[in-house]
Parts: sequence; structure tokens; C-alpha cells
Amino acid sequence: MSNDIPEDEILIPLGPQHPALKEPINFMIRAEGEIVVDAQPRIGYVHRGIERLAMERTYLKTAYLVERVCGICSAAHQGTYCMTVEELLDMEIPPRGEYIRTLVWELERLHSHSLWLGVAGHEIGFDTLFMYTWRDRELVMDILEMLSGNRVNYGMNKIGGVRYDVTDEMKNKILKAMDLLEKRFKDYKKKLSEEPTVLGRLVNVGILKKSTAIKLSAVGPTLRASGVKADIRKDDPYGIYDEIPFEVISYDSCDLAARVFVRIDEFFESIKMIRWILNNLPDGPVYKRAPIRIPQGEAICRNEAPRGELMYYIKSDGKSNHPERVKIRTPTLANILSIGEMLKGSYLADVPIIVAGIDPCISCMDRVMVVHEDTGKAEIWTDEKFRDYSRKWYKKNLKWVVEERWKK
Amino acid sequence: MSVKSKLISWARIRSPWILHFNTGGCNGCDIELLAAVTPRFDVERLGVTVKGSPRHSDILVVTGPVTRQTRKRLIRIYNQMPEPKFVVAVGTCACSGGIFGDGTKSCPVGVHLGSYCTMGGIDNVIPVDVYIPGCPPKPEAIVDGILKLIEKIKKGEVKKDE
Amino acid sequence: MSDDKVVQNIETEKQLLNELKEKFGDKILDSSYVKRHRRVFVDVKNNAYRDVITYMRDNWDAIHITTITGMDTGESFILMYHIFAKKHKVVFTVRFTIPRDNPVVKTITDILPGANLYEREVYDMFGIKFEGHPNLKRLLLPEDWPEGVYPLRKDFKREMGGMKNE
Repeated sequence: MSNDIPEDEILIPLGPQHPALKEPINFMIRAEGEIVVDAQPRIGYVHRGIERLAMERTYLKTAYLVERVCGICSAAHQGTYCMTVEELLDMEIPPRGEYIRTLVWELERLHSHSLWLGVAGHEIGFDTLFMYTWRDRELVMDILEMLSGNRVNYGMNKIGGVRYDVTDEMKNKILKAMDLLEKRFKDYKKKLSEEPTVLGRLVNVGILKKSTAIKLSAVGPTLRASGVKADIRKDDPYGIYDEIPFEVISYDSCDLAARVFVRIDEFFESIKMIRWILNNLPDGPVYKRAPIRIPQGEAICRNEAPRGELMYYIKSDGKSNHPERVKIRTPTLANILSIGEMLKGSYLADVPIIVAGIDPCISCMDRVMVVHEDTGKAEIWTDEKFRDYSRKWYKKNLKWVVEERWKK
Repeated sequence: MSVKSKLISWARIRSPWILHFNTGGCNGCDIELLAAVTPRFDVERLGVTVKGSPRHSDILVVTGPVTRQTRKRLIRIYNQMPEPKFVVAVGTCACSGGIFGDGTKSCPVGVHLGSYCTMGGIDNVIPVDVYIPGCPPKPEAIVDGILKLIEKIKKGEVKKDE
Repeated sequence: MSDDKVVQNIETEKQLLNELKEKFGDKILDSSYVKRHRRVFVDVKNNAYRDVITYMRDNWDAIHITTITGMDTGESFILMYHIFAKKHKVVFTVRFTIPRDNPVVKTITDILPGANLYEREVYDMFGIKFEGHPNLKRLLLPEDWPEGVYPLRKDFKREMGGMKNE
């Protein structure tokens, strides 16, 4: 550890007990030397009381509210909410609406995974990857804007179907973009799997054993990178996923590299699904008028969002025009326990990339408190400091660390 | 505006350093802000760099509604920035609380209450120079807003160091 | 295009519910029902949920817990445990009621470790205590949120949160 503390940090000499700082931190890490002994994420930074708001607003207004739970998987949230209300209404939306809803879900997976790939590249100092993937991601954003009028928070779904239709011209544009994206990402995958400096940062880093992942109820690519072939789209199909041919991607190595390649392969699967959807799009309306009064009942819907399992539980009392209870469980929450496990025993320099590995939907690494057990000192590290420390540490230590990892 | 202020302003706007802070938003605005840095929109050609430390930044760009948890930290970051400093509110939530509303205000009957955890737009907490509404605003809108701020600084409309 | 409404086969789900009824007798309440394909709601007496969850884990590979939903009916609290039984691919919701004046239940983190954060969330939002939880602390609410004020309870009002802009 360097002795000069930059001015935007706080150095607090403390004893071996757990400090209870008033600082709003997101992460508490206990380190011995350069190794993490324990890690506790502290969430709640972004708590906005959405469940309470959803109970107080009408069903229609809640459809707009839930989109903004997360700006990156907004269609997953809104689509699942609408699906749940449609189940309460015991109604089927027209087939063309189902197809378009699924199309937007898969497009969202494309944009989310390419966003993640860029962010992951940035975390390990591979900024060119960030620039390339975000440039390519713009193709997907253009498509989403063409379909819905907005790049983020598209508002495609409503209770009873979707709001906009897909024209033939749009269809051709999307198919063209898919070809280009597929070509480019195949190239990135090849480069990533051959670049030793990158692999050195990913292989055998952040191990999450299969049994632990299952025990801690992990979800999404994090779970599938630990050798578990679990995917809501196959295990608990919704929409038209029981018709679309696709594969569940899983890798067995349980490390960060697996998480990268699971997402890249899912990217290709999504492209295939989008092509299938567009080539098999049925005719008809995209929307069916839904009754205003929601009858009494309850419904649970689960969705494989880009980050994993998303669940909505809605209970209606049948009398009022607002839900009695809306329960939302986002995928990132399900993976928080797993981060703690992955970080134990890892190097401090790997913390940013391991945390990024679950694709957290919160500004997780903003302020991390690092408690050095051996010296008793506690410091606040910002994400910038972490990234800096990582780069410098790896410049010095890359060779022997990679050798040690390849041995395992 | 004195010659010294003009010089300082000019030097500042040559390469403004931006500090980004998310006070509890949904990340929609954050990714559009980051997208503004990527090749397609490319604010770096304007000399704008995104930095990590409040003590070296000119412009504080805030996204998200002010949540109760982040309010104190927002104030602290603002205080840590050296003068002259400028604040840009990106997104409807930062401008006015957006869909989450302002939980500190009581509302007339029939209007929905704000969340128990959010406190409206950031101008309830720190002074704001430029508002960029949108849910989220497109990267072009964000670049446009930052350019407008730079214009304001150039014209000396933002009298911060007198 | 599959027509879920008409041709749903819920035989497996009915069988599984009957299996629970045979094994646990009157601890499984009559209000339990099969909602649809892959969704079963199991209402239990509030001293039976640990046994039911253990049984499901040991026999139906039900180790994945999606979340725990709390609800305030005004008169009492309801807890719902949403668990996915991998063997039969069915989501079971184990549900029971607890009294408002004594909202204390035993943890299930020894049976399903994945429930750790969900129990904390329910504690934070409703004030229901989970005995035996390894780390029952606040999860989502801010540190300076007043004690004893639970936002998802029916009697919660904004002023109780004590939010001031000063």
C-alpha cells in the first residue's frame, strides 16, 4: 500500500473492530495485504420506494413507473408487469403483439450484453473494447429508437399488447443490422479468446463453484457460467419462448472468463432469435383492449432479463383501480450473495472486474471502504482509485499471476 | 467581466473537466451520458474529459433524483469542488424528481405523492446552471446542454468568481 | 401458436399439491390451489412452513428461492415464499399468516441460504423479525431512517419517515 493518500480520500486509523462510518458506502472490504478476506456489499443506495409508489398509483401509471426501475432492462420490467396484469385479467394478447414484445426483449439483451462487454473492457483497462462495443451498440439503439421513438425507456408495452407495429421496411433494416453485429462480435470473441493479457485477467478469477451458485440462488449469466443450465425461457416459458428454437448457454469453468463468454454466446443466440421472430411474424393486430377493472386475484410472472431472473408478484383486490401489492425482485439482488463468495480470497486488484462480472444494476463500486486488517487502517476508495490501482498492480504483477492461474 | 475573469473563463472552457454523480437514478441517463463520450457523439473532441475527483473538476453533472441516502454526499461533493464550478442536471429526475416526485412536499388531493425516499430535483439541494430534461435525454441533447453551459461561461453570464 | 388457456395440463401440479396434503394433513389449508401450469399456492399453518420447505427441498430439488413477499392486510401480515422446484419445474408459493402484534418468525436461511437478503428486505419494509438470521440488519432503507417506521405497512404515512430538506 502506498503511504501517500490522495486528497479526496479519508484515512481513519481504527482498531480491529468493525467501523460504523456515517459515509454512504456501497461496499465494505476487509483486506490482508493484497488479498480480500471478506466483502460485504451495502445496497440501498438507489432505493426509491417503488413498491410503495406502485401500490398508490393506478395500474396504468404503474406501467410507466416500473420501466424506470432500471434503465438498462426497462422493457423486461415493463413487459413482465404487463404480462402479470394480463394474467390477472386472464387475457391473451394477439400473437403479433407477443412476437413484437419478445423482439424488444431480445434486442434489449443485445444492447445490455454489449454495454456490459464495453464496461468490462473498461474495468480491465481494455478501453478499445469499450469504444468498439459501444459503437456497435449504437446499431441496436438505432433500431430501438426506430421501433419505439426512444433509445432508453422505450414504452413499447401496454396492458393488452404493444404500442407500435413493425413495418416491412423496419424488418429489413433490423435484419441487416443483425448481420453486421454478428460479424463484428464474432471478431471480438475471436480476439478475446486469443489475447493473453485479457485472458490473464479473466481465467480462474472470481471463482463461484457450481454448488455455491445453486445454494445461494444465483441467477442469469452468473449462474450459467458456473455450469448450471438454468434459463427461465426454457424452464418456465412465457410469451412465445416455447416456440422459438434456441440454446441455453452455459460454461463450466465458473470463472470470469466463463461469464464473458456466456454473454457473448447469448448475444449470438439473441441474434438468431430476432431473425426467427422477424421471419415468422404473424399478421394481425398488436394490441387488444384490456378491461379497466382488474378482477380479484394474484399472479406471478418471471422473466429472463439480461441479468437474470426477474419476478413480479401482483395482487389485486378487485375493487380499486390500483394494485393491492406489487412485489418486484430484480436479478442483481439475487446475485449479491454470490459476489461476497467470489471476492473472498481474490486480489484487491481484481475486485472491480469481479463485481462487474455479475453485471450489477447499481452504481456498486462508487465508494468502497477498504479495511486493512494487518494495519488496522480504513480507507475509502473510489472506483477511479480502484481502477488505477488495478492497472498499476497488473503492470507490475501480470506475469506471475497469470502463471499461477494457468497452473490451477 | 474583468480581464482576469475572462482569461480564467477561457482557460476553463478550453477543456472542462466533468465529474459525474448519480444520486440514485435508474442508470438510463448515465448510459446516455457515457454514450456521449463514445466515438459516435464524442465530447472529447470538444475538450471535455470525464474525471473522477471533485477537487479537479469544473462541471458537476448529476443524474437521478435526490434520494435521502445521497443528499449529504451530493452537498459534500459540491462543496469540495473549487470555484468556479457549474452544475448540470441531466434527466427529468435531476430536474424535478421526475416520476418519483418529491417526498418532502405534500400534494393536493388527487395528485400522487412523491416517494418516501426521494426529495425531488437536485436544485432543492444545490444551485443548478443548466437543466437537460428528458427521460433520458439523448446523447445529442446532453452534448447540446454542455455546449450551452460553455456558451454561458464564455459570455460571462455565470458570475462565479467575482 | 400454443393456446395456454384451454389446453393447460395441470395434472402434475394437482398431484404435487395432493402429495403435500397427504404428507402434512391439516397443516395444508384448504385455500391452497393450483393457479395455472407451473404455479401452485400452498397455504400452510404458520408452524408448518419450515417442514414444508424442507420437504420440498429434499424431494423436489426445490433449492432456488426467488424471493419472499411480505404483505399487510391491515389485520395481519402475510409471508409468501416463492420457491422453484427444479424436479417438476413448478413455482411453489408457500404462504402463511402471522399476527400483527407479534411479527416474529423463524428464519429459513439454514434450509435455503439464498433467503438471506430477502428476509432482511422484509424486515426492513415490514418490521417482521426473523429469529436465527445470521445478520438481520437493515437492507434498503437509509441509515438515518427512524426506527420502528416500516414503509410498506398499511398505516405508513410520509411524515413518519421524517424527511426534511435542511
